[in-house]
Amino acid sequence: MAKTIIDAHNISKIYNKKMVPVKALQDVHVHIEAGEFVALVGPSGSGKSTLLNMMGGLDKPTLGTVIIDNIEITKLSENKLIDLRLHNIGFVFQSFNLIPVLTSKENIGFVLQLQNVPKKKRRQRVMELLKEIGLEDKMDNKPGELSGGQQQRVAVARALASKPKIVLADEPTANLDSISANKLMETMAKLNREENITFLFSTHDPRVIKKARRVITLVDGRVDSDEEQIPT
Amino acid sequence: MLVQLAWRNIWRNKTRSLIVISSIAIGLWAGIFILAFAWGMYKNNIDETVFKQLSHLQIHHPLFSQENDAKFIVPQSNEIVEKLKSQAQVSAVSSRVITSGMISSTTTARGVKIIGIDPASEKKQVKLHEIVWQGDYFETGKENEILIGEKLAKKLKLKLKSKVVLTFTDVNSEIISGAYRVGGIYRSGNLSLDEVNVYVLRPPFREILGLSKNETNEIAILLKNESVLTQVKEFAKSIAHGLKVEDWKEMAPELRLVIESFNLYTYIITGIILLALTFGIVNTMLMSVLERVRELGMLMAIGLNKLKIFLMIMLETLYLSLIGCPIGLLIGWLTVKLLGNYGINISMFSEGLTTYGFSPMIYPALDGRNYVIVAVMCLITALLSAIYPSYKALQLNPSEAIRKI
Repeated sequence: MAKTIIDAHNISKIYNKKMVPVKALQDVHVHIEAGEFVALVGPSGSGKSTLLNMMGGLDKPTLGTVIIDNIEITKLSENKLIDLRLHNIGFVFQSFNLIPVLTSKENIGFVLQLQNVPKKKRRQRVMELLKEIGLEDKMDNKPGELSGGQQQRVAVARALASKPKIVLADEPTANLDSISANKLMETMAKLNREENITFLFSTHDPRVIKKARRVITLVDGRVDSDEEQIPT
Repeated sequence: MLVQLAWRNIWRNKTRSLIVISSIAIGLWAGIFILAFAWGMYKNNIDETVFKQLSHLQIHHPLFSQENDAKFIVPQSNEIVEKLKSQAQVSAVSSRVITSGMISSTTTARGVKIIGIDPASEKKQVKLHEIVWQGDYFETGKENEILIGEKLAKKLKLKLKSKVVLTFTDVNSEIISGAYRVGGIYRSGNLSLDEVNVYVLRPPFREILGLSKNETNEIAILLKNESVLTQVKEFAKSIAHGLKVEDWKEMAPELRLVIESFNLYTYIITGIILLALTFGIVNTMLMSVLERVRELGMLMAIGLNKLKIFLMIMLETLYLSLIGCPIGLLIGWLTVKLLGNYGINISMFSEGLTTYGFSPMIYPALDGRNYVIVAVMCLITALLSAIYPSYKALQLNPSEAIRKI
């Protein structure tokens, strides 16, 4: 049996508690095992991003606990959370993903630099990932010189650079055309298979949902369904 | 990594960075210029006071400065003068007889300070001959010649060759009157002195006052270098037993007061400039932080801790300052160098300033130490200004920051 990597227990998140309370998540329970490739789906406002933020330690739930690799992150201090994210979690956001003043290879190596990985090892890993995402020829280009799809692939490479246990991606294909979206999903699926990294991504694109092996559907802040599928 | 990131960040918006760099450079230039201008004024004033009026040191009877009366004498003055002249650090020594009195023209009268001088020694001492602009400097050799200031001449409606009467008391407190003829009119640039000081030949005036050849009221000592002031002062004290030896700072406390008030004024102006600089930097850096909210949120999300975020923004300001400061220093130095040679004519305001002994030509000057002080102050101001924007960046919550549009 695979090891539990994310365990979200009875998560609730209420915004604007003092004024007009908005229940973003209500009593959500999600259990994800290492190496899973999970799509978090649902309409806008269903709580997908909120749940991803809770699991990544970017936000704290109003109620409930989140356990990442046996560490209860809801109790960690801000600095410990940053440290946990640095070593265990890779993020891919919908947009504004990359540091605009750094080149592709510098963006990918940024997290490794934060982890004080020696220069030689860092360069090796960056080149490996650039090859993996097929952007070796763009390694000296800054984000502004890349297409949206290429930027997202660089972002995925950066998220994977330090070989995190989990990659959380918030609508990574939302701003991409179908070819770029397909290519990005293939890259993510390949890395999931080959490096056994757990992927959890939010989306409402049916073509992307098909690529997942498990689909969790959120409606109005609650888990509506949680089903396994064969990716196509 | 942070070093590189901060350096590249400042060039993302070149216009904005150039504005901050220019603000720092202009602030620094303005600070340097104001200090140099003020110091140029003080220096001018000090030089005027020391080289044209008082000299570095003076020896008097202890009560002379209170009453300005000729009866308070410096005995054995010739011996003291000779001993002082023998000192290598001494440039010139003059002996003067002085009393207060009244000068009367055909129309009016005024109180004056009558100074009996040896024209030759005063040429070296206060260079009185250089400021005579009408008539001549005791060149006729006539014993009843008097040199008066331009302002006094105007008040008494006197011209060259006009006859005046000096009334004063001798050492025995007897009232004496003497007729003099205006031989020269001087213009010193210090209106208060021009109105009060009148000069006559010392030997005849000494006799009229009833002083012996070896007695005088004032010995003025001009040094070759200000740095030996204390040393020569001590020597003068050792040979002038029972007499009062004062340096120019003690003799002109009003000058110290003027300098102190100017110092205060200088600090206030420099403070205002730095305050303006502070607002400029806070505004620009805050703008820079606020337009990068999403990016900062992303950096926090991927593992850049808050201390590093803070340091990155401080580093950005430090870089801008490290570029702006040398430019400001260079422009400031060039300005001071240029205006220090050619001077600034402030004759528009000179009437008021000459009352206080300031020359209308100001030669800005500043020593190296002050350049460093202003640069460090500017740098500290810039870094302090960056604290608030950096603190604002620390307040960001990564999940909220990422959602910001």
